[in-house]
Amino acid sequence: MASVKRWVAVGLTACFVLALAYLPPRGAESSGKSPFVGQPLWGTPARQHAQALADGWRKVDATLRLLEDRQRVRRDSLRAGPTIVFHGATLPPNSVHNVETMIDSVWRDLGLGETKVRVTLVIELQRPYSSDTPTPLQDQVAYLAPDSTHRTTCLAYLPAGTYWTLVILGKRDARHEGFGRFEHWLQAGLGPCAFYAAYGTPGRPVESWLAARHWDVGLYLGSHGIAGERFSSLDLLGDPRSPWYWDGVYSFPPATVACLAGRPRGCRAAVLTGAAEERTIPIPNVVLVERRWWRVQHLLPGERYLGDIARTVGRDRFLSFWTSGQPVDTALALALKRPVGEWTADWERGFVRPIRLGPTPPLGGVAIALTIAVFAIVVVAGTASRRQIR
Amino acid sequence: MSRLLGLVVAASLLASPLRGQDCLMARLRRQADSLLGSWREAQQLADVADSLELVRATAGSDTIAVGGLRIVVNPSPLPWRQAAELAWPVIDSLYGSAAEDLPQHPYIFRAVDPDTGEHRAVLHVGVEVPWDLDLRATSTVLLTTVTAPHVDPALADWLGAALRPTLRPQDERAVVFVLLVTAPSQAVRRCFLGDIARCKDVLQLGDSTGLLARWYVTPAEREALVTAAFTDYFARGATAPSLQRCRQHHDDACTALLQSLPQGTLPRPLPQAAGILLVREALRAGGRDAYRRLVARPSAPIAERLASAGGMDIDSLVGLWRSNVVAARPKPLTLPWWASFAAIGWTAFFGICALRSSRWRL
Repeated sequence: MASVKRWVAVGLTACFVLALAYLPPRGAESSGKSPFVGQPLWGTPARQHAQALADGWRKVDATLRLLEDRQRVRRDSLRAGPTIVFHGATLPPNSVHNVETMIDSVWRDLGLGETKVRVTLVIELQRPYSSDTPTPLQDQVAYLAPDSTHRTTCLAYLPAGTYWTLVILGKRDARHEGFGRFEHWLQAGLGPCAFYAAYGTPGRPVESWLAARHWDVGLYLGSHGIAGERFSSLDLLGDPRSPWYWDGVYSFPPATVACLAGRPRGCRAAVLTGAAEERTIPIPNVVLVERRWWRVQHLLPGERYLGDIARTVGRDRFLSFWTSGQPVDTALALALKRPVGEWTADWERGFVRPIRLGPTPPLGGVAIALTIAVFAIVVVAGTASRRQIR
Repeated sequence: MSRLLGLVVAASLLASPLRGQDCLMARLRRQADSLLGSWREAQQLADVADSLELVRATAGSDTIAVGGLRIVVNPSPLPWRQAAELAWPVIDSLYGSAAEDLPQHPYIFRAVDPDTGEHRAVLHVGVEVPWDLDLRATSTVLLTTVTAPHVDPALADWLGAALRPTLRPQDERAVVFVLLVTAPSQAVRRCFLGDIARCKDVLQLGDSTGLLARWYVTPAEREALVTAAFTDYFARGATAPSLQRCRQHHDDACTALLQSLPQGTLPRPLPQAAGILLVREALRAGGRDAYRRLVARPSAPIAERLASAGGMDIDSLVGLWRSNVVAARPKPLTLPWWASFAAIGWTAFFGICALRSSRWRL
């Protein structure tokens, strides 16, 4: 009998080890076999080289345009809000006036008035481009931050694309009541310039940290969601019941996923990504926001992280962090008066219920497996008790 | 004199950042010009490289021609010719005379080792398929990669999915039958019962005004649509109170929410498969030139185009579609009377075998 017990124990242990090794992680789904082999169709190396050169040209071209506009633009002393410059088409005066009225309202909503750092929005309207040059920057926003030559000017370069160009030209109504309204687009377009206007130039450690992570935690100063209401990059993950939700979650770095699960250490690591790097801030300091920035964030919804901190801790404490010469983790913890990880984990819970990580056997599978196991044990035990000779 | 000198020094100091700025811009302009020149050269080289890659990808390959299909493939055990012989009649029967244009677009396939750990060269041209597919799977590859000729955006929007040939048209009809009898919509139900006007409504073939009232007839349907499909969309901001009211069975709130949706986003009560089947019926009824007639006038209303393709008025076409769907009612699964006894018998047999085994000692 002792021998049977030993074998039962060994069997159960083996089952447990196998379960640990083979159970799929939460959200993983087995996909049906496709006859097509999963390999993306790459361009030839020569084509990729041409595309890389085009990307390089776009960045230099955007920088050049921003520098030219910084030299050329004269600010309107009658207005406290950002100066607006349009490129690509001549607008009727009433369209310009409408956009100016809207940006002034956005500016006031952000709690900004007369600021030391002035902001200029350069809106590039969509137009036909010739085929002998690459298309200019179209799906990326660029910012020219204040530097030693222009300490009080921040420029934002916003390609309007087809949709917003038609809206600005009055050929299409932005009819969506929820996300996607024109003022949301303008407010989101202010990006890092809103922080420069509100809090001035950051201290060296903070500026280096933000540059290292492409400003992903300082893209939006507003209190609503970046696309209106409470819409944030988290919403782009979709419904947790949808099959692509977990694919989206696991596409982020481990620390970001751990933070989504409410783990303070993960949150701390996600926030301090890039803080250890000592970056030299170039002149001109052009910030290029990543294409599809919501897919390369280290913290979700990172775009509003610094804005939320500023609102929570108040202007003075935020300024002490913003301009601090101390390392980022120390300065941030001092401003928050709490460890960074803990505060961030609580902040994260305000947007999303902590996700559960780890292996997850399907409920039906567990029930069937247990039933079969119990049945097998009962049959074996019954047979053994009938057959044994004492 | 010293004052003048001071002024000159001060002016030059003040101007130095501007000069620096000008230098920087001149440098950036030179960099932009240099990049632009390099890009133009690289583009020309890339065009040449692409055409060479096409030649390289097809070098040493066989070209298989069956009907209008031209398939360029590397040597492999895949039954390409038999698959093409199976696929071509299906493609030809769908696109008819329009399939004559297909030889202009040969298909390039590369059969690869199905072991996913195998290191493979980066693919620049063509589609990779594993070389262990059987005949049916290889035919399916051909059918699913064929490009429908001359599809215009209006037709593509209405279809909602690509119109591709199928090896099992009867299965499609059975699927639409199930959709007709299970869709939670009175309009679809009435279509199933023979109301052709309702069928045209749910297939979006007629007037596009007032679709909400015609597609989702009862308050319960509208509430179900809001709560099942648009909860996340309406749960924020100004629409959140209306969503709450809708959940409390206030039809005015549900209707207002659905009416606020952007044009073209109200989900059809009958999924796309039904529309695709209708096109297939029109093409089947209209003969070899039916597809050409379907794509001939992109600006015409869809109902008119379908009628022209099918060579009959739209009501008759929809009637034909409905009767074919109803005739494709899936057969219920029936077990022979002895199957359950056989199952119990086998279970008992194995149980007895286990219990009658030889005795053993612990």
